[in-house]
Amino acid sequence: MTVQSAPRDDFPALRREIDGQTISYLDNGATTLKPRPVIDAITEYYETNGANIHRGKHRLSEEASDAYEASRTVLARYIGAAANEVVLLRNTTEAVNLVAGGLDLPPDAYIVGCLDAHHSQILPWRRAGRLDLTRVDGYGRLDRDHFRQLLRGRPQVVALTHCSNVTGVIHPVEELIAEVRAACDAVIVLDAAQSLPHESVNVHKLNVDFMAFSMHKMLGPTGVGCLFGRSELLAGLRPSSVGGGMVDWVDVDGSVDRRIPFKFEAGTPAIASIIGSAAAIHYLEGLDAGRRHEHAQELCTALVDGALDRPGVSLIGPPDTKDRIPLATLRLADGVPAGEVARLLSDSHGYMVRSGHMCAQPLVTELAGGEVLRVSAYVYNDVTEIEGFYRALDDLLSWMAPTVPAGAGRP
Amino acid sequence: MSDAATFEAVREEITYAFDNTVFFRKHMEASGLRPEDIRDPDDFRRIPPTSKVHYRRNYPAGVLARGYTLNSPNVMRFQSSGTSGDRLNSAIMSYDLARRQATALGVNRRFDALWRPGSRPRICRFAPPNCSDVECATGFSTMEDRILPDGTLVLTVAHDLLATPEWQIVKALDEIESYQPDLLVVDPTHFAFLTRWARRLDRKITSPRHLHTVCGYTLMTRVARRQIEAFMGPDAPIGDMIGMSELGYLGFECDHGQRHINDKDFYVEFVEGGKPVENGRMGELYVTTIDDGLIPRVRYATGDYFTPVGEACACGSELPVVRVEGRATHMVRLPDGRVVTPAAVDAAVGTAPWLDIYKFEQDRTGVCTFRYIPNAAARPDDVAALEARLAETLSPQHVRLEAVDYISAERSGKFQPCVSHISAEAV
Repeated sequence: MTVQSAPRDDFPALRREIDGQTISYLDNGATTLKPRPVIDAITEYYETNGANIHRGKHRLSEEASDAYEASRTVLARYIGAAANEVVLLRNTTEAVNLVAGGLDLPPDAYIVGCLDAHHSQILPWRRAGRLDLTRVDGYGRLDRDHFRQLLRGRPQVVALTHCSNVTGVIHPVEELIAEVRAACDAVIVLDAAQSLPHESVNVHKLNVDFMAFSMHKMLGPTGVGCLFGRSELLAGLRPSSVGGGMVDWVDVDGSVDRRIPFKFEAGTPAIASIIGSAAAIHYLEGLDAGRRHEHAQELCTALVDGALDRPGVSLIGPPDTKDRIPLATLRLADGVPAGEVARLLSDSHGYMVRSGHMCAQPLVTELAGGEVLRVSAYVYNDVTEIEGFYRALDDLLSWMAPTVPAGAGRP
Repeated sequence: MSDAATFEAVREEITYAFDNTVFFRKHMEASGLRPEDIRDPDDFRRIPPTSKVHYRRNYPAGVLARGYTLNSPNVMRFQSSGTSGDRLNSAIMSYDLARRQATALGVNRRFDALWRPGSRPRICRFAPPNCSDVECATGFSTMEDRILPDGTLVLTVAHDLLATPEWQIVKALDEIESYQPDLLVVDPTHFAFLTRWARRLDRKITSPRHLHTVCGYTLMTRVARRQIEAFMGPDAPIGDMIGMSELGYLGFECDHGQRHINDKDFYVEFVEGGKPVENGRMGELYVTTIDDGLIPRVRYATGDYFTPVGEACACGSELPVVRVEGRATHMVRLPDGRVVTPAAVDAAVGTAPWLDIYKFEQDRTGVCTFRYIPNAAARPDDVAALEARLAETLSPQHVRLEAVDYISAERSGKFQPCVSHISAEAV
C-alpha cells in the first residue's frame, strides 16, 4: 500500500459513490479533479465579490482586478516567466491557435510538428502553413534523424510536444530546442499540457518562444489556458479577437491596442477560474516535491508493469518508466471494443478511464490501429487503485473471451 | 395476471438464478431466503425487488449465468443510454429477444404478414442515436457501417432531434427507399418529425414490401400518432411497443388499439407500496423473466407504471390488457399530493391537429410549463381550449403555455413529452 502525494480527502469528488461503490478517477490525462482550496477560492470570489475586472474604479472591481492579476503573477512565477509574458485564455487549444493565427505566416510557410502531437498542436499548424510531422518509432519516441532532416528544410515554426498524451513519453525538449536553434531561426512553440502537471518547467532556461498549457490538467478549474510568449514575440503577435478590454483607446477612425498580455484578452475573462488557478498552483507547491516525484514513479511502475504482465493487452509506448508520466495506453485484443470496456470499468467497477483516439488520431492509428484505453494517474491516486484497475480489466476480458461454450449453466 | 402454471416457471427461474448468478444468490441470502422458501406468490413477494442499479453494478460477473461469457453464441451485447440518463450495459440472447418479440407482436393480426417461413423482415430503425451501438448521429457513416449484425439498418438522426439538418433527413429518407424494409422500428416523436419533413420535401416513406411500423423508446403521444397515421395511410400497420432495451418486447398494441402485456415470457406484477394493485389501479411493472438462461431477472422493477384493466379484449388475445401510464421519473407531482401521469397529460392534450410537437415540464419548484410548436392549422381558441383541459387535469397547479419554434431533446437523444424534475430527483 502506497500513500498518495496529495490526500484523497482533499478532493470532494472522490467521496462520491455511484451505485453504492466508491470511484477511482484515472482519467487525469483528460482533466484532473479539484481540491477543496481551489473550490473554496472560486466560491469565495463569488460569495464576496463577483465584480468585473479592469473596468471600474469601485472597490469591488479593484479587489477583483488585484486578485486576477495576482493570479497571473503566480502562474507566471510557476513557469519562470514575467507576468506580462503570460496570456490568460480558455485552454491550450486556444493558446496554440492564437500563435498559429497571430504570427501572420505566409500560406506556404514550412512548419515542422510531431506525429505524437495532440490534434490541438497539429490542426492549427496545418491551417497556418505546410506541416510536416516528425515520425516516431514503435514506442512513440521521436525519430531524431527524421527531425534533423526536417529541420534542414528551414521551417518557420517548430511545434513541439513536451509529453505525449498517448504514450506518456516525455521528450528531451531541451535537446530538441538546441537542435532547432542550431539549424534554423524557427519560432518554437511547445505544448506542455501533459508535462507541466507532472514536472516544473522554466521557460527561459528552456529557451522556448511560446508555451501553452491548461490549468484544468493540474488541479485548476476548467476554462483557463495559458500562453507563455517571449515578450518581444508576443508584442508582434496579432490578436485573434478584438473588442472590449484589449484596447486603450477607440475613436471613429481606429483604436490603440493595450500592451501585452492584455491585448490578447478581449472580453470578460474567467475571473473566478483564474483566481482558482492560483489556488491550484499554491496547492501543488504545498505538496512535498520529493514525495511527489517518488509517488509518480510508483504509479508509473504499476501502470507499465501491469500492462507488460498481461498477454491480453499491448502497451502503446515504451516498455519502461524512463522519461514518462504515470500514464498507460493499452491496445486490447482484436474484437474487444475499448469503448465498451471503458464503460464497464466505470459502471461495474468504478474505474473512470478514457477510451478512443485520445485526440491524437494519427499516432493512435499508427501505433495501435484503432481505439485504445488510457489510464492516467495523478497525485491523489495510489498504487492499489492501479492494481485494482488491472484486476477489473482482467475480469472483464475474461468475460469477453470467445472460448467458453454457451449454455453450460442451464439445465 | 399470470396463472399458476407460470408461477412454476418462476420458481424454476428463481432456482436457476440462485444457483448460477452471484448477484441473485447474495440478494436472496441478504433476506434470509432460499429458492425452496418460495412456494407461492405470497412467498415470492418476500424477495426484495431488483433494479437497474443492481444489474448495472454487477454486470457482467455477477449477473451473467455460469457457463456464459459475453462472447457466447447468440449473445447480443448493448449499451443503453437509458431513460433520463439512467444508463445500462447489458446483454440478451438473440433467441430470447425473438421469442418475446413474437409473443408480443402476436397480439396484432396486422403484423402477421411480417413473419414468413424462411425469411426475416428487413428492418430500418429511426430512433434516438444513443439507443444504437453504431455511429448514427453524425451522418458521416455509410449504410453498411450502420447495419447491425441482425440486419437492422440504423438511420441517421442528430442527438438533438429538432436540430437535425435537412441533408441528414434526406439521407434517412433515401436510405429507407434504398433498403426497402418490411418494418420500421421508430421512436414515435422522431418518426413524426420525419413525416413532417417528408411532407415538406414532397417525399414518401414507402417500400415495395408491405411496410409496418413499430413505435417504441418513448411514450407515443396522440399528437405523434396522428401525424404518423395521416402520413402512412390506413393500409400501413402501426403498433405501439412496450419494451426495455435489457428485456426486449414486454408488450404490444393489438389491432383493436389496446396494449397487451407479455405474461407468457415474463411473470408480471403491478406493484404500488410493495403490494400488488387491483385491476383499474396504477402500479409499477415488476417482471420476472421466464427461461432466460443468460441474465435471469427476478422481480425486476422497471420504473414503468401501468394500470391493469382486468377485462378481456375484443381482439381475442389472452395477454392482459394494460393502460400505459408513464415512467416513475416523469410523473407530475401536485402540491396536494396527487400524481398526474404522462398519459393523463397526453390525454388532456389529445390529437391537437394544430400543433406538431409538445413537451410538458415540471421544474424543481413545481412550476409547470407546456411548450409546443404550433402549425399552420392553429386557431386562437385552440390554445385556450387546451389551457382549460390542462387546468382541469392539473388543478390547482397552474400551467404556463408557451408557443415556441424549437424544443431541445435530452442529451441522450430521447425526446420525452412529459418530464418532472421533482420526480426525477425523488427516484
